[in-house]
Amino acid sequence: MIIQKNEYLPEYYNIENVKWETPDIYTINIKTKNPGHSGQFFMLSVPGTGEAAISVASGNGRDLSFTIRKIGSVTGKIYSSQKIGVRGPYGKGWPWKDYDHIVAVAGGIGVPPIRSLLEELMDAGRNRDVSIIYGARTPSDLVYKDRFEEWSRCVDLTITVDRGDEKWGGNTGFVTEFIGRKNFSKDTAIFIIGPPLMMKNSVAEAIKSGIREENIFLSLERRMECGIGVCGHCNVGEYYVCEDGPIFRYTDVKDKPELFL
Amino acid sequence: MAKLFKSISEEYDTYGTISEQGEIVFGQVRGFKDIVDGRSKYAPKEFLISRNENILYLPKIEKKAVFGIRSCDLKGFYIMDRQIYGKDPFYTARRDNTLFINFVCREPCEGGFCSSFGGPVLEEYQIQVIPDGGKYLVMVSEEFEKYMKDFKVVENNEIEKFRKDFDNKMEKLPVEGIENRIKWNSKLWKEYASICISCGACNFSCPTCYCFDLYDREDERLREWDSCILAGFTSSSAGNNRPELDERLRQRFYHKYVYYKKSKDVYLCTGCNRCTEDCPVDIDIKEVITHDYSKE
Ligand SMILES: Cc1cc2nc3c(=O)[nH]c(=O)nc-3n(C[C@H](O)[C@H](O)[C@H](O)COP(=O)(O)OP(=O)(O)OC[C@H]3O[C@@H](n4cnc5c(N)ncnc54)[C@H](O)[C@@H]3O)c2cc1C
Ligand code: SF4
Ligand code: FES
Repeated sequence: MIIQKNEYLPEYYNIENVKWETPDIYTINIKTKNPGHSGQFFMLSVPGTGEAAISVASGNGRDLSFTIRKIGSVTGKIYSSQKIGVRGPYGKGWPWKDYDHIVAVAGGIGVPPIRSLLEELMDAGRNRDVSIIYGARTPSDLVYKDRFEEWSRCVDLTITVDRGDEKWGGNTGFVTEFIGRKNFSKDTAIFIIGPPLMMKNSVAEAIKSGIREENIFLSLERRMECGIGVCGHCNVGEYYVCEDGPIFRYTDVKDKPELFL
Repeated sequence: MAKLFKSISEEYDTYGTISEQGEIVFGQVRGFKDIVDGRSKYAPKEFLISRNENILYLPKIEKKAVFGIRSCDLKGFYIMDRQIYGKDPFYTARRDNTLFINFVCREPCEGGFCSSFGGPVLEEYQIQVIPDGGKYLVMVSEEFEKYMKDFKVVENNEIEKFRKDFDNKMEKLPVEGIENRIKWNSKLWKEYASICISCGACNFSCPTCYCFDLYDREDERLREWDSCILAGFTSSSAGNNRPELDERLRQRFYHKYVYYKKSKDVYLCTGCNRCTEDCPVDIDIKEVITHDYSKE
């Protein structure tokens, strides 16, 4: 085998613009086409600080975009950096091409991989085949607010918050409450991403609503360093989340401790 | 052997086991007579996975021939190949450019249990040498046959006899099926956690452990060996899925005897016993294999 490329070496790009979605979540755009697919992730880096795994927020072939929560050293520096390093895409994406109808459920900061999914479905002319349920704690925690209007025109979109405020006129309640209200065929697939408890409850609700277990897909987050299946940090059970995931079929993880249990 | 060494040294930089201040270590060697027949103090992982290196810069990889590596240590590379070869560019380039000439132990070492994983005569090797009192039995893989033109190659029955003799001298542990017998809630993990001091020596000494960490220092991005026993190994923005030491110890044993077997069809262990030797609190990995889980 001859290795010609140093996979660890990122390409460096200028950040085109930074948009603050909430006080601690921002979206960046980069002028290069996204070679990856929804559900996959890239390693973004700030030279001298380090790398972080970030899901791709834009659809395949569109300009690369990421939505990032500022929680630590790298995520706290990307927005103010001139240039950032990008390597990827890594991991497995959502298998949307395999299903005629999809319900996508996102909780909290889990929404970027659902935005990229939606963009890919729109670009494929399949926006009628997806229902999106997106929930956040409060109205001010919602990201992509400026896109909701456009999205609701072309897909079945449900936005909900756990707690509203005076100005909030929309849905309140957990995303799980809205799963059962959708119409499913027995071949419907459900894609779920969000905090662990939200994913557990959503799975239970999906099964109760008649979705087949093997049609449930989850995005799991684990500590990642290399992104390419060698550093060992993301190993859980017989899987390396960075290469076997982050998207998993529920039936492959449901009985596995440290993965889903 | 001197002749073999010479023809190899025309193509490769030559390294081997040498004696230095009473310890056996790997160093550059100029002739076959410099090489001592004994196991190095440390597993020779650094030939392929640097303890500390800048991964933003892939240097030109030199061709190295390494004489005297023990079979258990070499086997570690064949096992980790299944997870990292072809993916880590540094490991892959070095693996492709390193010729290992492993020396087979004639006598079992103290505490070693390699016979449980196939014994010291390896199925996979490049050039395999069985020292035989001043003489050497040499086995060569196809790729390196050119070095053996002038030599008599060992007969299969000689190897078989050697294998049998060795197996008679080293007890085999009941490794087979451990992936099904082992128990998630075994009391062993808490017992070990009550004495383990989280030093990570078991991982660093292991010829099959390949995990590492990445961090930036100025304009370098450094790889450093890491240990799954350390508390921060799995901490992430989504929480830590192994906050307790007993969970991390269990992970080490499960990765070796359950997960790797499931995903790569081989145990992530060669029976070298290095982790047990280097553990300051005497946790013996053999107990994980021999323990009677059915009574728990
Ligand atoms: C597949 C995947 C996709 C992700 N997608 C997104 C996304 O789209 N948007 C987003 O905002 N975040 C995402 N994350 C989380 C993001 O990777 C972490 O928030 C980021 O690594 C924190 O880096 P930091 O340097 O800013 O924080 P640090 O200063 O390193 O630490 C802050 C916190 O993050 C934890 N942490 C440290 N290193 C890592 C690491 N390598 N991986 C995970 N956690 C770590 C620490 O334990 C600490 O709790 C994703 C993670 C994964 C695994
Ligand atoms: S060598 Fe022993 S004490 Fe050190 S981390 Fe391993 S098990 Fe714990
Ligand atoms: S992130 Fe390194 S192995 Fe998965």
